[in-house]
Amino acid sequence: MSDTLGVLLLGFAGLGPDQDHQQDMYLPAFSTHDGFEVVAVAGDDAAGRTTAERLAGKLGLPAPAADLATALADPAVDVVSVCVSPERRADAVIAALRAGKHVLADKPLALTAADAARVAAVAAETGLVCLPAHHQRFHPMIGAARGAVAAGKVGLPWNVQADFLVAGGTPSPAGELANFAVYPIDVVLALTGQRVRRVFARLSTHWSDGGADDHALLFLDHDNGLTSTISVGRTRELADTPPAGLALHRYRVSGSHGVLDIDASRPAVVLRRAEASSHTWHGAGTVDRLLDELRAAIAAGRPSAPSAADAVHIAEIVDAARTSAASGTPVELSQEGSR
Amino acid sequence: MARHSVIEDTPPPGVLIVGAGFIADHHGAALRATPRARLAGIVDVDAGRASAAATAAGGVAWSTDLGEALARPDVDAVIVCTPNMTHEPIALQVAAAGKHLLMEKPLTITVPSARAVVEAFDAAGTVVMAAHTHRFYDYGRAVDDAIAGGAIGRPVFARLAMLGGWIWPDWRAWVLDPAKSGGHALHNGVHLLDLVSWWLRDEPVSVYARGRKRTAEELRIHDYLEMHVEYAGGASAVCEMSRGHRPSTIDRRDVLVAGTDGVLQLPAEGWGSPLVTESGASLLPPQAANGFAVQLDAWLDAIADPAAERAMTPADAVRAVALGVATELSIERAEPVTLDEVMGGVLA
Ligand SMILES: NC(=O)c1ccc[n+]([C@@H]2O[C@H](COP(=O)([O-])OP(=O)(O)OC[C@H]3O[C@@H](n4cnc5c(N)ncnc54)[C@H](O)[C@@H]3O)[C@@H](O)[C@H]2O)c1
Repeated sequence: MSDTLGVLLLGFAGLGPDQDHQQDMYLPAFSTHDGFEVVAVAGDDAAGRTTAERLAGKLGLPAPAADLATALADPAVDVVSVCVSPERRADAVIAALRAGKHVLADKPLALTAADAARVAAVAAETGLVCLPAHHQRFHPMIGAARGAVAAGKVGLPWNVQADFLVAGGTPSPAGELANFAVYPIDVVLALTGQRVRRVFARLSTHWSDGGADDHALLFLDHDNGLTSTISVGRTRELADTPPAGLALHRYRVSGSHGVLDIDASRPAVVLRRAEASSHTWHGAGTVDRLLDELRAAIAAGRPSAPSAADAVHIAEIVDAARTSAASGTPVELSQEGSR
Repeated sequence: MARHSVIEDTPPPGVLIVGAGFIADHHGAALRATPRARLAGIVDVDAGRASAAATAAGGVAWSTDLGEALARPDVDAVIVCTPNMTHEPIALQVAAAGKHLLMEKPLTITVPSARAVVEAFDAAGTVVMAAHTHRFYDYGRAVDDAIAGGAIGRPVFARLAMLGGWIWPDWRAWVLDPAKSGGHALHNGVHLLDLVSWWLRDEPVSVYARGRKRTAEELRIHDYLEMHVEYAGGASAVCEMSRGHRPSTIDRRDVLVAGTDGVLQLPAEGWGSPLVTESGASLLPPQAANGFAVQLDAWLDAIADPAAERAMTPADAVRAVALGVATELSIERAEPVTLDEVMGGVLA
């Protein structure tokens, strides 16, 4: 393995017509990261192939392979960044792993826990890295908080209260439970390390005109006496938040010996001018740090954190939330947990 | 609010304070500061407490016999500051005596008794109000004013957290005996449940609550309460009331209300001035209106004109009790509980 890993950008789709994390998030991060080099692009459907062709021209890369198998057979490719449409995503990730490639998978890794579990099984079997792009846990405030909790600064964590509220942008047609909940759930799991055993949830539509949910309240009972509550959704546009930016992103971790308040709108230089105020900061972003983890896990030959198995658990929680919101009663998760 | 002249033909109403404990001092101070009412006397089952409070108040009359005090013609109204389990019988006695009542929260600790009290005052034609004091604090009013002014459109989601060591100092107090307090949901939970329901302008339909005994497993009440309320109009709320947080020097009040057109926040750190001294860091709270005085004014307004719109209605007081009862039941069952169930299928 050379020092720089070759990356194939596969697919440019997301939840909803205008979501393209491949070009918006992963391509810029791979392009500036020392450990990676984008060597190929490909699509797995007509729209994806059109985008791939245009992008190959723009980036000066060879013409995209005609089909998935050819693209995955390229020996210059070490890592596949998978952003194919969510319905085909699990299968594409499995194909990449079977072709011997490491994977960065856009979120959600799969639309159901069962599909995510299929991916996790192949990742475990092949020993390759399969990193679900839960990049918010790499936020510098959250990274530091994980260290503090691990160092026992608040004692035994017994409760987390989380708010993840995006303002503006295009509402996800799949609903914001499917679209956003993975981020704060992943952060709560990363902060506490405790699996969820019971889920009570409520889904509402407050802001969008479509029928999809735009606010989810999740009441989670974890192992080890931990409870957490997550409010996640998307409001209408707010003047001081860039479209699709986070208006509120915070976690309060209560422990037997202290309380830690994490405000992920910091660190920030606050700019106030004639127009709405804005924030800026210097340094690596969450996606850059996500790629650091990808690089480190591949180099060490270890599963990434988060792993595909973590994505399975999150998908189970999201599935249970949907069931609970429909029935109005709490839902128990299976005791053994999926691997 | 009606303006009242200090010089009036009729003397200001005489007010009796029943229960001369911690919170009675706040009501006494508010009474001393207003020209609109007069402290007529103090009643406590403990003669020592009654007499000490009467002396401290400048030598007003005191008694250990509520019936005797209520019979006095110069007593027009009563503020009750006794432990929660005594609220029902005392309220019914005050109603029977034909006097107005400001009852410390909760109005009572069961829904049927809360209803019975409201019916008794309806029948007597006198005023009953429960002292949900947070409605009368500057912060509670600022949030309500903003919502009333349409600043965030229709409010759809509220978070309200109160975490603090100040919530009770004495771990042996009656408050920690569920038979006497009704449990933490009825004792302190009702403050938050009432406040968010008022802010959201929506009728609660169900409660999902989780309670914890954080400080010691021997506790008989939940020193941490998390209460999720769903409303008929689609709004929802998450309230936390905690004496279980550590360290107990924590003093947190956190407000978030999201509306259809905006978001309102009273951030924990925006509350006071951070003060760092040789003995540590703390928050210096801003000067504020005396919530007990504002509340007293609202009650006196209702007495002066019972037909006018009330700051806190009897139905609000019953609803707060129902929410508290639903919370305790939800914790016990680990399931959501509907207001219909605890209200016995009848609306307040
Ligand atoms: N609004 C608020 O913010 C707030 C704050 C604290 C307490 N409270 C409420 O105030 C009430 C009193 O609480 P507290 O903390 O002052 O209690 P406390 O224990 O300090 O005082 C209660 C007093 O009532 C007396 N008493 C007991 N039974 C009596 C009876 N049957 N008749 C007459 N007197 C009797 C006791 O001797 C004692 O002096 C409670 O209902 C509580 O929920 C309200």
